[in-house]
Amino acid sequence: MAKETANNLVETSDYIGHHLVNLTYGWCEKTSSWGFAHHQQDISKSLDSACDVSEMGFWAFHIDTIFMSVFLGVLVFGFFGLVNRSAKKGTPGKLQNFVEFIHEFIGTAVSAGYHGTSKLIAPLAFASCLWILSWNLMDLLPVEMSNFFGQAGSGINYFKILPTADLNAPLALAAVVMVLVTYFSINTHGLGGFLKELFIVPLGPLEFISFVSKHVALALRLYGNLFAGEMIFILIAIMFGQFFMSFSQTLWFFPGLILNLAWALFHILIVALQAYIFMMLTIAYLNLASSKH
Amino acid sequence: MNINATFFAELIAFCIFVFITYRYIWPSMADILEARRIEIADGLEAASQSKRQLEEAKEESLKIVEGAKSEASTLINQAGIRADQIVDEAKTQAGDEAKKIKESAESDIQQSANKAKDVLRDDVAALVLAGAGKILNKEIDEKANKQIVDDLINEL
Repeated sequence: MAKETANNLVETSDYIGHHLVNLTYGWCEKTSSWGFAHHQQDISKSLDSACDVSEMGFWAFHIDTIFMSVFLGVLVFGFFGLVNRSAKKGTPGKLQNFVEFIHEFIGTAVSAGYHGTSKLIAPLAFASCLWILSWNLMDLLPVEMSNFFGQAGSGINYFKILPTADLNAPLALAAVVMVLVTYFSINTHGLGGFLKELFIVPLGPLEFISFVSKHVALALRLYGNLFAGEMIFILIAIMFGQFFMSFSQTLWFFPGLILNLAWALFHILIVALQAYIFMMLTIAYLNLASSKH
Repeated sequence: MNINATFFAELIAFCIFVFITYRYIWPSMADILEARRIEIADGLEAASQSKRQLEEAKEESLKIVEGAKSEASTLINQAGIRADQIVDEAKTQAGDEAKKIKESAESDIQQSANKAKDVLRDDVAALVLAGAGKILNKEIDEKANKQIVDDLINEL
């Protein structure tokens, strides 16, 4: 009994660990070569690297994050592009209605929150909101699905389908926002004005910390919410999975089922809300940067 | 949670998608929506204008009907007056005619009476003469007694 529990614990922590590792392609210092992290894929021996994920340095790419985010981006923006191309000025069809609704929704948010003249803000808000939303929706797919298909078919043993749960992706978005905020601030107040605002007025260097942390928080808020959501899905999946481990755990099936359903329903809210919040904050920061106080 | 070069890949991807949206997706849809907005505004404007025109046409038609009504009533009034005039004229004409006829009839009667008187007088004169002749048994010189007889007759 004790041994079984210990085994279970090892399996559980393995399971969680497995779900938190990205499919990584990077530079291995030991062998001085590029390759996938050790044992992450069974496609080709020549692609396998001697290094584990933790042994790879900065020069590593999360292939799953990049693939999923670009794939979803092509899907979403391709859809909008195609509908736009066939859009008519007269009475719109159903698809066009849908696209126009989203366009109007974001357009309204932008015109309410941003009072400057830049034509970049609306497309930026549109792109960030829809891209993040498409990422977040991946969280509603069963946590076990990507691994199941990966191991069954392609020989890929690690695959995280949720780009938002990889800090790199939200941080990249926030970095773009930060660069734009800096650009607009300098544009409005001049370089001197911006630096003065950043380091002197009104709270000295605290302003700089606030400026940086504001944008880091923008990324961490999104990342944290979705990562936590994913984590809870994993924990529920473990509880659910006890059903298959031993007969004595059969009863876990029902609370697992209910919890999974409840959390998924609640998560639909978070998924949409976090995308919306990111967009609104982007608009607000850029508005603040381009208005004279 | 480890920051690595994925960050740059995501950065580039995001910039590309923002550019695509900025260049192709957002403006074309904005144009379409703007065009539709203008079209709807025009349609509403045209609708209110035609409504106004309808209102004006209604007023116009009411005016026309009103005018026609008043014209008709004046016509009827005039016709009534004219009819009265015609009747009056006919009456006076008829009266005149009747008078004339009466007068001519009277003069006819007068003439006839006069004629009859003359005839009667002549007859009476002749009768008187014949009677007197018989009484006197002799021819009365007509010429000699003519004056007496005529005076006598005239006294009749």
